[in-house]
Amino acid sequence: MTRSSTRWIAQRLAQMLLVLWVVATLLFLIFRLMPGNPLAAYIDPNFTADQQQALIHEFGLDLPLWQQYLIFLRASAAGSMGQSFFYHAPVAQLVWEALPNTLILVLGAVIIAFLIGATAGAFLAWKRGTALETAGISLALAVRAAPEFWVGMILLAVFSFSLRWFPTSGTASPGAQYASLWRQLTSPDFLRHLALPLVTLVLYLQGLPLLLMRSNMLDVMEEEFIVMARMKGLPERRILLRHAARNALLPVVTAFALVVGYSLQGYVVVENVFSWPGLGRLLVKAVAAKDYPLAQGAFLLIAALAIFMNLAADLFYTWLDPRVSYAKR
Amino acid sequence: MQKRSVVHGLAFLALGALIAAGAPVAPTQAQPGRQVRELVLVTWPQAQDPQQYEAARIAAEGMRRLGLRVTVRTMPWEQLADYIWYSRQKWDMTTWQMVGRPERSDPDELLVNLFSSSTAKDGYNFIGFIDPKYDEIAQGQREATDLTTRKKLIVQAQEIIAGAQPYTFLVNPKSIYAFNNQVWDPATIVEQKGIGIKNFWTFDGAAPKGAQKDMVLNAQDPVQAINPLYISGKVDSWITELIWDRLVRIGPDGLPRPWAAGAYKWLTPTTIDVTLRPGMRWHDGTPVTADDVIFSFTAPKGGKVPMYRPFVANIADIKKLSATTLRFTLAKPSAAFLTSTLGKINLVPQHVWAPMLQSLEGKKENAESLQEKAPIGSGPFKFAGWTRGQEVVLEANPEHWAAPKMRRWILRTVSNVEAALGGLRNGEINFLSDYLGDPAVLARLSSQDPRITVIASTDIGMQFIAYNERRPPFNDADFRRALSMVIDRNMIRLVAYKGYGVLADSPVSQALEFWHAPNLPQYAYNVAAARDLLKKAGYEWDPQGHLLYPASQTETLEVAR
Repeated sequence: MTRSSTRWIAQRLAQMLLVLWVVATLLFLIFRLMPGNPLAAYIDPNFTADQQQALIHEFGLDLPLWQQYLIFLRASAAGSMGQSFFYHAPVAQLVWEALPNTLILVLGAVIIAFLIGATAGAFLAWKRGTALETAGISLALAVRAAPEFWVGMILLAVFSFSLRWFPTSGTASPGAQYASLWRQLTSPDFLRHLALPLVTLVLYLQGLPLLLMRSNMLDVMEEEFIVMARMKGLPERRILLRHAARNALLPVVTAFALVVGYSLQGYVVVENVFSWPGLGRLLVKAVAAKDYPLAQGAFLLIAALAIFMNLAADLFYTWLDPRVSYAKR
Repeated sequence: MQKRSVVHGLAFLALGALIAAGAPVAPTQAQPGRQVRELVLVTWPQAQDPQQYEAARIAAEGMRRLGLRVTVRTMPWEQLADYIWYSRQKWDMTTWQMVGRPERSDPDELLVNLFSSSTAKDGYNFIGFIDPKYDEIAQGQREATDLTTRKKLIVQAQEIIAGAQPYTFLVNPKSIYAFNNQVWDPATIVEQKGIGIKNFWTFDGAAPKGAQKDMVLNAQDPVQAINPLYISGKVDSWITELIWDRLVRIGPDGLPRPWAAGAYKWLTPTTIDVTLRPGMRWHDGTPVTADDVIFSFTAPKGGKVPMYRPFVANIADIKKLSATTLRFTLAKPSAAFLTSTLGKINLVPQHVWAPMLQSLEGKKENAESLQEKAPIGSGPFKFAGWTRGQEVVLEANPEHWAAPKMRRWILRTVSNVEAALGGLRNGEINFLSDYLGDPAVLARLSSQDPRITVIASTDIGMQFIAYNERRPPFNDADFRRALSMVIDRNMIRLVAYKGYGVLADSPVSQALEFWHAPNLPQYAYNVAAARDLLKKAGYEWDPQGHLLYPASQTETLEVAR
């Protein structure tokens, strides 16, 4: 690695910190400006004024806003996310428990969707102008446009309620207990539970890589080196795979990294339909209950991951295409 | 290029104007004069609670027949609760509900907390209902240890409320639950008065018919905490009830009955002797002692168990008379003591909780932030596992003197109500314990599938519209009575609640037959009578038909924001 590229990475990291600070500040303000009150969750006929005061003090809401902000910044910088108002448990623990479920569902779905999408996109570009292409594009678009909850409910109704091939909810059968997280995640029971939400998400996500790959392929296929390859008499399949597809793949890789970054928040709708205990449902509940620490902590973590995935995509790019170099700019 | 920037500039100006128009302008809308301002009824969004929303629409339609301008405004629950609770001068009317809980089988909690002047400032009397005579009666029933006297006072309290109409009572809804009758012997499923079949007695007594010995239930909300010193979400209370025993439990008839206390005896109106059932053990094997019981009732007195503090406030002293006998002395006589204190406080092991509470000394956290890894109680079920957002598993405690017949009790978090129904059909769950969907759908399911038994029972809970008495015209009982007469409650019952409810007329549910006052005024739907009532009270109408205050009065308030 050259000195200039080291400096470039250092600059990018500094930028990341700045962006994170802005995000943290915005998060802090947004949740406090939103109507509602974390104490509303406690309202009960036996809820007394003393209790209200005690809660306000416990949550630190009796401090001036700037002091709350400083405490929040200091804690975030130290990597502590605080204590959830709603669950009365450490935010880190709550996020940590939900994260594996989200990662497996989302990463699995994104990878499968991009593999299928990119392959199908390349294939459809190759079949340009045929009835197959028209049918393929229409199908991909229709599936992509269908609302996730609707697709999810249809899958549930057919494969779970009627055929009983797959369970209706959760990540494990009732009462199933596993020695470790790893054991659970590799059990057939888990895969059965994963199947329907995964398929729903794949159907939703395949559209982007498919269309992107297809249009890139169409561009690439106009290029001279493809004509050259044809003139050399290379077999069509080899031209498609070795020459055209590889070049058309670059933007798809960027899109992949961005979609992964974006998806780490979980897909609330899919999680709700399949009662999947992921980050999405945790976050929605946190926002609804005005659980400032949980919402702030989790969103900040997600933002950090998304920003990091962006950087990773940039770095991956230089590796994939040596013509791209950030250092010289 | 230039043209485009002009367009941009115009768009920008227009946007600015829009923002300025949307900003809270100086409130000039308040008409000076006698016309009643536009009134605002807040309710939940349709997506969050279609029944309350529908009820609010029907109620507003009725109010308009009095010549009122009424707007229905929706807010998500968290925002609505904040608005009603913490902006007591600002709002006009709201839909609201009380849910049924076993402790509410005694009318004391609702009668005192909802309408006492002492809770008007920052407690549950958010409507600001003030009536010294009512205060006296509500307090009087609390101190009346003679059942006949107490019942008389409770009837009187209900009569005052029904006369004053601080709320328009809509319905006591029916709680609807279902179970698989191939898995559970229907004869062992217990219907508790005002609660339904999802209750402690069903869980303790349900007998499996075949090989499936696990009860699998559903709840839409995730479990927040499993903590005997913290009253958290409603779902959490189903769990704490099973893991931790109490001295007294509310029986299926709605009345307190001895539980961990084998017996109790009132010596005077302020002294009660409690004898513990012999041989009880904590789930870790150590015996339950009188000291544990004393600890359970004294721990909330400190500052670290705020939510249980009100329930022990009346205990002046607890003495250990022998290894199994305790004497409670109360500061004031309390008729509801059995239900609201002995039936409410979870018995916790001192050896577990004393050190945990000690660790909090000097910190701002309280017992609510303590979560045992494996909670230990002495109840009929033992904690076996908790996967957050997914399920809680309890297993039967065979050592318990009232050991359950099932093997395990598994509560699944199912966020999708359709999936819960599907799960009931395909056997994934065998007890539908949380269903907020359309009751008719469930009824149809049971008629198609004979394995599914559905049981609907009138709930202790109630749905109502509350009026803010701090804001005229709601301070006028005649005005409130007139509102109750133009709200078509039966239509609300049939349309919004699909017939699954009975018309409510009191803060004491019809389900509590013993306490519910007979012969309360019913405020049947009658627009003409309501207009007459207002006319007699001095209200008039302008030529456009708008309602005007009586001659001596003018509108002084802005439209609620």
